[in-house]
Amino acid sequence: MKKFLNISLLMFVALSALTLGSCKNEVDEIFDEDAVARLDKAKAEYKEILTSNGGKWQMEYYANSDEPGYVYLMTFRNDGSVTISGKNGWIGYTEGESLWIPTYGTQTSLWEVITDNGPVLSFNSFNKYFHLFADPEDIPSLSDEDVDETGYGHEGDYEFDLMKYSNDTLYISGKKYGIDMIMTRVDASVDDHVYMDEVVAMADSFFNAKIPQVYINLPNDVRWIVKNGASSILKIFREGADEISTAETHNVIITHDGLSFMNPITLDGYTIKNFIRQADGSLLCRDDNTTTITADDLSNVFMIPTFTWKCDTTQMGGVFYQKVQSLKAELNDYGKRKLATIQIAYNNNLGKYIVDFGCIYQKNTFHPTFYFDVEAVSEDQIRFHYTGEGDAASGVYGQRCPSMVAFVEAMSGMTFKLTTSSLLAPVDMRLTDASTSANYIYVKL
Amino acid sequence: MKKIQYYISALLLVAVAAMSLSSCSEDKLGPTIFPDVDETLDPSSYTYKLDKFLTENYLKKYNLTFLYKMPDISTNMNYNLVPATYENSIDLAVLCKYLWFDVYDKIAGDDFLKTYGPRIILLIGSPAYNPTSGTEIVGLAEGGIKVSLFKVNAMRINDFNMMNEYYFKTMHHEFAHILHQTKTYPNEFNTISIGHYDSNNWQDRSEGQVASLGFVTTYASSEFREDFAETIANFIVKTDAQWDRILELASRGWASGDEDDVTSEFYCYYYYPDNDATRDLVYVSEYNVFTVVDEDGTVHKYWRNNTDKEGNRIVVYDVEDKDGIDGADAILQKVQIAREWFKTAWNLDLDALREEVQYRQSHYDITELRKLVYDIQ
Repeated sequence: MKKFLNISLLMFVALSALTLGSCKNEVDEIFDEDAVARLDKAKAEYKEILTSNGGKWQMEYYANSDEPGYVYLMTFRNDGSVTISGKNGWIGYTEGESLWIPTYGTQTSLWEVITDNGPVLSFNSFNKYFHLFADPEDIPSLSDEDVDETGYGHEGDYEFDLMKYSNDTLYISGKKYGIDMIMTRVDASVDDHVYMDEVVAMADSFFNAKIPQVYINLPNDVRWIVKNGASSILKIFREGADEISTAETHNVIITHDGLSFMNPITLDGYTIKNFIRQADGSLLCRDDNTTTITADDLSNVFMIPTFTWKCDTTQMGGVFYQKVQSLKAELNDYGKRKLATIQIAYNNNLGKYIVDFGCIYQKNTFHPTFYFDVEAVSEDQIRFHYTGEGDAASGVYGQRCPSMVAFVEAMSGMTFKLTTSSLLAPVDMRLTDASTSANYIYVKL
Repeated sequence: MKKIQYYISALLLVAVAAMSLSSCSEDKLGPTIFPDVDETLDPSSYTYKLDKFLTENYLKKYNLTFLYKMPDISTNMNYNLVPATYENSIDLAVLCKYLWFDVYDKIAGDDFLKTYGPRIILLIGSPAYNPTSGTEIVGLAEGGIKVSLFKVNAMRINDFNMMNEYYFKTMHHEFAHILHQTKTYPNEFNTISIGHYDSNNWQDRSEGQVASLGFVTTYASSEFREDFAETIANFIVKTDAQWDRILELASRGWASGDEDDVTSEFYCYYYYPDNDATRDLVYVSEYNVFTVVDEDGTVHKYWRNNTDKEGNRIVVYDVEDKDGIDGADAILQKVQIAREWFKTAWNLDLDALREEVQYRQSHYDITELRKLVYDIQ
């Protein structure tokens, strides 16, 4: 009997526990509001964020992992319209003097914050300057290798999950292809066309095709070589390592203020992503405030054997200005000859550096040439040594125009400090006498 | 005693179970978590005029949502697609009304499309390409509810043939699908061209070849249902000249150098080099054939490009129609079945529908139609 009562009691307790458990059919509230209300609230908040303070934003857009990023300027309005401006090669090109210049384009279309799994920024009517990266049409071929991309296009997104907002920065993620991107607020007074011109000018100033490689200078004093900068698909490998077997490619975007890698990269244990342009033209890593991207030391760049530096005779100082003025007068006295150029270069056949004076006589140009040795004194100082030699013309011209020799002799033995307008693309340099700063020469590649 | 105690215990258990069950059944639904949506249109909205037009002419009248702002979740994510331009959306919104909804209202009465029309029309800017087959989707009808019109950004409003092929025809094609998804068409239709459908390679077939087999288009030769929708849509939108041309192609014989290769080009003419019938014949495109009619009315056909050794024109011959099918008759049979089905299933006069569409297609003024939107205050 007792046994039966015990069993009954146990069953009673067990059943009570079970039934109480089954009655607990509502979980504790985690959020103060239900899902729809929270989603609607988030939608309204993001709409307010996008349209406030003039509603102007820079989007750092990546269509895919194989292309550079593209900057777009967007002005969001409360009426559901958005003006999107861009300047890149896919919008169009015009032929410039020495390169193809990307075309600027701006168009107004529609936008909306919609809800999916979360708030989504949707550009939901076609904008020909933006949706071109999502359009499945064949991509016009820029090379002979014509690949038919019909059905795929660039495979870029036009809807973006709104992930986070912080410090005037929106963190977004392409909804279909999942590429993380950012949008940063821009002052409403900014003129779109001027802004985009500045972005393109920034890109041009970063990676000059004349500078074959630049360097990522890590805090541990190790350098990684960067090639193909002008394409914005950087080829990166450790200095001293084998390029072919170790180089990796990383795509970047050049913005109004600097450069960012599409994804963070780790080199020698240092993780880097965002760089900001410094006044000296170098790029400083915003993530560690130490890593920089520059060209090689200026003395090494100056001495690259393939470079020909053209002296700007209008930008010379001190003794060099005086000698050039005298030289021009002497050349004029010497059968009305004119000074066309003064160039500094390396002559492979001679194994020496040369200073070449281009002198126009009637319709011909003659090049009296003087031979130098050039020595790197430090990373930004060089010294010239005139060997006393030159070609046959240098003898003739040297006799008739003593200022030509005087110019050469003034350079000889002088230690020059090298400075440039851009440490990343030092295609111009000022050579200043280290002891008397009034003496200087300005040269350009 | 034992029995009583047993009952007490059992009652106790039943009571607890009953309590627990009853407590679980007290799960009442709370108020909806979805807020009331304010459907009032905002006159300051950039799209107010179009939204107002769509509300008045589609939503209120047919309970139809006309989606021109493309949410990609409304599409097949396997395709790369882009939204339609706002301007082209306006054009297509007014054209859909004029060439489709107004036509059915006039011919079938106001309630017809209210009852059987789609509930969603979705505009998509690009085609949906199938890169592997080289085909593209220009329209879709899903479950009798939703019609998707693709390639909206490629619209050339003044190119009648293009508008007809990609948009007007698509509207009627997709609506034909909705109608037969609602009331099935006679199975007899499927028997006319049975054995000649090719769902895998229809895109590689030639227009003349499929016409000769009894299909109005290559796509019609892909499967029964597409054949049905294509037959109706082409009958409605093609001009008399275009329709006669289909029937003419269907009446000819067609051949290719390799009949086993479905992708090979088919021709309806051939000639013998140097007019020498002992040599192998050469097929020739109709575009390279010209016709001379004698005074007595005799028709001669020649190859446009060359003469024989004596300088005589190269005579061109019709390819013999050996497929055993009277293509034109098959097409007309299909039209007749569709005509009767329209009448019996829908009480609709297909010919009257065609006549109305033909008139409107050739008389619409897009500038005037756009005013339906732009003149909204």
